[in-house]
Amino acid sequence: MTTTNRDLTNSDDGALNRPGEPASTAHKRWWSPRTFGERYLLAGVWVIISAFFAISRPASFLQAGTIHSIFSSGDVYVFLGLAALITSVVGELDLSVAFIAGLSATIVPVLVSQNGLDVWTASLIALIAAVLAGLVNAVIVVVIRVDSLIATLGTGTVFLGIANGISNNNPVGGLSPGFALVATYDVLGLPVAFWYGVILAAAITYLLAFTPLGRHIAFVGSNREVARLAGIRVNRIRFGTYLFAGLIAGIGGILLSAQLGGFQAAAATTYLLPTFAILFLSAAVVRPGRFHPMGVLIAAYFISTGTLGLQLFGLSYWTAQVFYGCALVVAVALVTLVRRKTTSA
Amino acid sequence: MLEQEVADGASVARLSIRNLSKHFRGSTALDGVNLTIREGEIHALVGQNGSGKSTLIKVLAGYHSPEPAAKVDVDGSPLHLPPRPSDLRAAGVSFVHQDLGLIDHFTVAENISVGHFETSGPFRRISWTKQNRIAADVLNRLGVDIPPTALVATLPPSQRAIVAIARGLLSQTQGRGVIILDEATRALPKGSLDDVHDVLKRIKADGGSVLMISHNLEEVITVADRVTVLRDGHVMFAGEPTEGLSSGDIAREMLGYELESAVHSGADRAVKRAEVLRVKAVSGPTATDVSFNVGGGEIVGITGLAGSGFEELPYLLTGATHCHSGEIDVGDVTLDASVLTVGRALAAGLALVPERREHEGLAFEMTVADNLTLPRLRSKGRPWFVGNSWRRQETTRTITQLGVIPAHPEALVRELSGGNQQKVLLGKWLAGEPKVLLLHEPTQAVDVGARHDILASIVALAATGVAIVIASLEAADLSAICDRVLIFKEGSPVATLEGASSDEIIDSIYLASAMDSTDPK
Repeated sequence: MTTTNRDLTNSDDGALNRPGEPASTAHKRWWSPRTFGERYLLAGVWVIISAFFAISRPASFLQAGTIHSIFSSGDVYVFLGLAALITSVVGELDLSVAFIAGLSATIVPVLVSQNGLDVWTASLIALIAAVLAGLVNAVIVVVIRVDSLIATLGTGTVFLGIANGISNNNPVGGLSPGFALVATYDVLGLPVAFWYGVILAAAITYLLAFTPLGRHIAFVGSNREVARLAGIRVNRIRFGTYLFAGLIAGIGGILLSAQLGGFQAAAATTYLLPTFAILFLSAAVVRPGRFHPMGVLIAAYFISTGTLGLQLFGLSYWTAQVFYGCALVVAVALVTLVRRKTTSA
Repeated sequence: MLEQEVADGASVARLSIRNLSKHFRGSTALDGVNLTIREGEIHALVGQNGSGKSTLIKVLAGYHSPEPAAKVDVDGSPLHLPPRPSDLRAAGVSFVHQDLGLIDHFTVAENISVGHFETSGPFRRISWTKQNRIAADVLNRLGVDIPPTALVATLPPSQRAIVAIARGLLSQTQGRGVIILDEATRALPKGSLDDVHDVLKRIKADGGSVLMISHNLEEVITVADRVTVLRDGHVMFAGEPTEGLSSGDIAREMLGYELESAVHSGADRAVKRAEVLRVKAVSGPTATDVSFNVGGGEIVGITGLAGSGFEELPYLLTGATHCHSGEIDVGDVTLDASVLTVGRALAAGLALVPERREHEGLAFEMTVADNLTLPRLRSKGRPWFVGNSWRRQETTRTITQLGVIPAHPEALVRELSGGNQQKVLLGKWLAGEPKVLLLHEPTQAVDVGARHDILASIVALAATGVAIVIASLEAADLSAICDRVLIFKEGSPVATLEGASSDEIIDSIYLASAMDSTDPK
């Protein structure tokens, strides 16, 4: 309710700022209150729900442990969201990222506990497997030209099956607490994996916005034929994004197994829907209508805050699912309403 | 009967718009506009982009509400404003929009009847026999023979437009109603306009009325009975009979100033330099064994009947379409056409301005600045940073040089008018200093002001020594700026004209095709 009112005021302010300009030539300025409201709506909602949890459950929510746990449970989603994002910005949809992460998260403990490899070699092999998985996607989608949604639905299921196979459908553990430090080591009061996510999101943001490669990627996503006629090697870029998505998902998987001390392959399915909820939420922040790496970051921690907060109320896992779903629909709906209000008036 | 009505019944207004005003946040889109469309006439509404004609159509369609003083009557009874779709249908007002709104993989009958399916039986099953008959009836009324069961995707462009018109007529009583064509003919190849015009004349002969919005002034003069010109929201010509008007007369009212009749005459600029482009025996899907040379600073037009292969050449020579064989010399560089890629062509200095700007030319959801600088991101930027100053400079220069409105680098291309989009498309390559610029229909669907700006920029570019090839069916454009025009027949150039008028070009095109029928070899 609060947020809705705020939007309406914002859009009115935006209109008042530019008297005399017809709607068609009114361009968004980054400092106008309306644009700001549109861009940071979700961040605002995040602050509001955090405040709500803090006020209603001060004893538990405001503890360092809780905050730590929000930031450590969100980082795998940052990696998965960014992996999904990188293929989405070129106009593809890679459903397999959650399963690639699941595969690499399974390979590490399996190699360590069953084959006696050291954890670093195991991680390297897991990473190579993840990139190979990306390569399989790339070949099927870019070379054979199967629709990306269908192809990655198929390959993702295969990756899940392989992960289940090598772990005999059982949870595998046996990773040392020392290895967990690669994800949970404290830096400035927050787990280091949070900072990995921040750095990766910032790096992808920079890549997309400020490098020739990134601008080419944006054009491939916006209009492939235009990109091709400008001399951009469209298929090479599409191919590369699948490999990169595999790599990022693989890193996410390794961090996940490090945090948990092991993994159960079947759990990979539970990461699929939140990943895409985060991806599409990212299109409702920062630059409305476009997938944005920083949006992924905000959306991932928004969702983990909500989930954890609801758990503090003693509500069970199903409420988290309801929360993901509602957050996605409501946030995207709000942005759509704000945009319509400002473009048609 | 009909003639009598029109003769003594100038007072019979099929659609009458009185005192229509609309302001958007302080700017005037329409100011006290009056427009009367009589029974059984084709009325053209023209104006530059931004003149208010789209706003007027959107008010009629119920998309915008007009200011309270406005009154719209259809056959003497007032239309509730803003009208609801059902009001419009009851009044017999229907629209055919630019994109025609057809679904390709549906049949003609399905496309015509969508929204009005006749059902029968307890399960409300659609009766396709009935549906096909209804479609056939409407098409018969228009005097065309299109099978109702054909898939729309298989129809030529003119028949697609006719199917869209037929859908508009479906809800109207024969001989009544207004059909509003909102630039519905803009995407049609020149050769197929006649079929659509015949259909419009048929509707008029039946007593129906047509309001057509068009950029094509020749079309307005040949088809419309009267024309209304809007400029900055005001009516300039109020239902002026087109008989005796020239396109120059209409253009003057649209622009408010005299359009230079010719952008340049070939003789002014006869500084021919060494040959920059040599096309040697290039063959593609239709083009066969095409050879010609273009000098630096020369503008060469290539034309012919649609399908004669000339329209392939810009794409073949820039690697956008695969060549079967041939060689292309650009300056001192020889390119093997059969292995040409877009990247190699660009590196050699061959730049392409394609025809379909929304599909191949520009990324509509990206900004003007992004689109303008796209081809040079790698060459002018560094791998780790694209650089801002060169992009800002280039964008500002191109926007000023071509007069892009709004002059806002961060505007999305989608928000620009057709003419301004075309300027951006051209501007994308200007800053890259190509050696050869190949254009396909550079003035398609742009208004007269933008057309002039675009042609003038092409001439200015040629003056800097760039070799230019224009593939176009617009004889007027070719005659205005080309030094030479090559006429194509069956994939190869068969004639060369120098300093030809547009009539001479058109004659040669048809002569070339006539040679075909008299000489079957």
